[in-house]
Amino acid sequence: MTPPAPKVPRGRRLDVPLIAWLTVIWMLLWSGPTWGNLVSGVLVSVVLCLVFPLPAVELALRLRPIGILRLAGYLLYDMVASSITVTLRSLGGTRRPRPAAVIAVPLRCRTDLMIAATAVSVSCVPGGALVEVNGATATLFLHVSDADAPGKVERTRRDVWRLEALAVRAFGTRAEIDRIGADPAREEPGRDRGE
Amino acid sequence: MNTWHEVADLIGSLLLLSGALVALSGVIGLLRLPDVLTRSSAATNPQTLGILLLTAGVALRLRSWVDVGTLALVVFFQLLTSPVAAHLVARVAHRTGQTGAGPLLRDDLAGQGRQATGGEGPEPDGSGTG
Repeated sequence: MTPPAPKVPRGRRLDVPLIAWLTVIWMLLWSGPTWGNLVSGVLVSVVLCLVFPLPAVELALRLRPIGILRLAGYLLYDMVASSITVTLRSLGGTRRPRPAAVIAVPLRCRTDLMIAATAVSVSCVPGGALVEVNGATATLFLHVSDADAPGKVERTRRDVWRLEALAVRAFGTRAEIDRIGADPAREEPGRDRGE
Repeated sequence: MNTWHEVADLIGSLLLLSGALVALSGVIGLLRLPDVLTRSSAATNPQTLGILLLTAGVALRLRSWVDVGTLALVVFFQLLTSPVAAHLVARVAHRTGQTGAGPLLRDDLAGQGRQATGGEGPEPDGSGTG
């Protein structure tokens, strides 16, 4: 929806893609594409953009259809899997609670948008809850239940990295995709500092 | 033509039913799971999947492009907002130390991370320690 013009700051000026997007939402909410809806939608969007200007965000967004399809497929699979996990766990009676852990997962991507995309995707990982995002160091902090199970922490970390790669290949710029190619394990030595 | 309508109606009904069941399982999890974070994950993942199935079912039964567009909008915002809500719940739970029955096995967040992202308000006490 956004052309590749990442360097334009969003100040008190009209942002055409944003207005187009808001107009589309407006028309959908008012049940249909009529001329009246179009005109009023553009009017409302322009007024909104003038009255509530957004802060300048570096929009390093690319839309890659194949990557988006792969991400969507994986997320759907993950969502079904985690729903089944949650259902089994809630129907399985009250077990003795196992210890949980909060682990840091350093990401390879650096732009805010990619970190956000990864963080949103990660919420679908079964048994992991996002506790904190550190944008400065591109680190996600996840709450992992049943953390004493062997390999559970490592598996969660690998899941996050796989989701990160999928998200960046769906929305990232070329530079970010190159960064994803790096080995995530290179961050390993630094990860235990919070021990 | 008519058969296709019936097939779409049937599949739509099945999707509606399964979506309702998935959402129900999420609610059961919400009631039965032991602590905040597992409950929060029960409230987000099955609910999102349930909404997804329900809207797909409704779309198959309505079969008009404008309605499909509106439903796509519903799904879009659901996918975008429910992780944010879950994240905020998890963050509050961690900061107030409600991370489950026992102590945490390890807490990488114990010392760091707060100043860079939070920055607002007074620092809470060293919560969620092991």
